[in-house]
Formats: sequence, structure tokens, C-alpha cells
Amino acid sequence: MTMATPDRAPPYGERSSLSGLTDAEAKEFHSLFITSFIAFTVVAIIAHFLVWMWRPWIPGPKGYALIDGATTAVHHALSLIG
Amino acid sequence: MYKVWLLFDPRRALVALSVFLFVLALIIHFILLSTDRYNWLEGKPIKTGQIEQTTGLG
Repeated sequence: MTMATPDRAPPYGERSSLSGLTDAEAKEFHSLFITSFIAFTVVAIIAHFLVWMWRPWIPGPKGYALIDGATTAVHHALSLIG
Repeated sequence: MYKVWLLFDPRRALVALSVFLFVLALIIHFILLSTDRYNWLEGKPIKTGQIEQTTGLG
């Protein structure tokens, strides 16, 4: 990846943008930025998926009981009755 | 969209973004470590909330 070099110095040349980048350089950086952003987002989504599998973070109406351990909850209820 | 880089200096933007994301990640990780449910180092068993464990009825 090589940034395009200006053929003329400012303020006559293309380098008159606020950041000092040319249009081509901005496009080049943008494609790289978007690629990195997508990669970062994919990693974050995978991490969130794994944590949700481990312990979801939105409780049901009765707390975490129903989503965490439906079987343990039933077990508890049965032991109270019997 | 690429024209934002004509406004914002990519170098500064990258530094600012990395610092922001790093601090945010650090804060979130410490918040999670401070909770019982999401502390992955202590590894406490799940608390299934709202289950009443009443003993000795009557």
C-alpha cells in the first residue's frame, strides 16, 4: 500500500483539504478503514455470541431462572412439593 | 463517505479511535469482573434469580 505522492506543493496542488489528504489517498485509506472496521465487528459479534451462550444478559420476566436453568428450577419446585 | 478523511486527519483519527476503544473495553471488562454473574475468574455458579428457597414450611 503506497500513498500517492503530490506532484505539486500546496496551495497550488491537490493538497488543499483540511486533513492534507488527496481524494485518492482518502479513498485508499477509507477502504482500509472499512476492512478493519468489519474485521473488528466480526470479532466482537463472535465474542458476544460466545458470552450469550455462556450466560445471557437479558433476564426473563422471572429473572434469570427460566433461561439459565429451567431444569434446576423444576428440580427445586419438585423438592419443595415432595 | 471516504470524504471524511479529507476533513479528519487519519493519523489522529486512528489514535483517537484506538484509545477510545481500548479505554471502553477496559471499563467494560472491569465492570463485568465486578459482577457475580460475569466474573469469569472467580467462576461462581449461576444464581438463578427469583427462585424462592423456602424451607421448613409449617
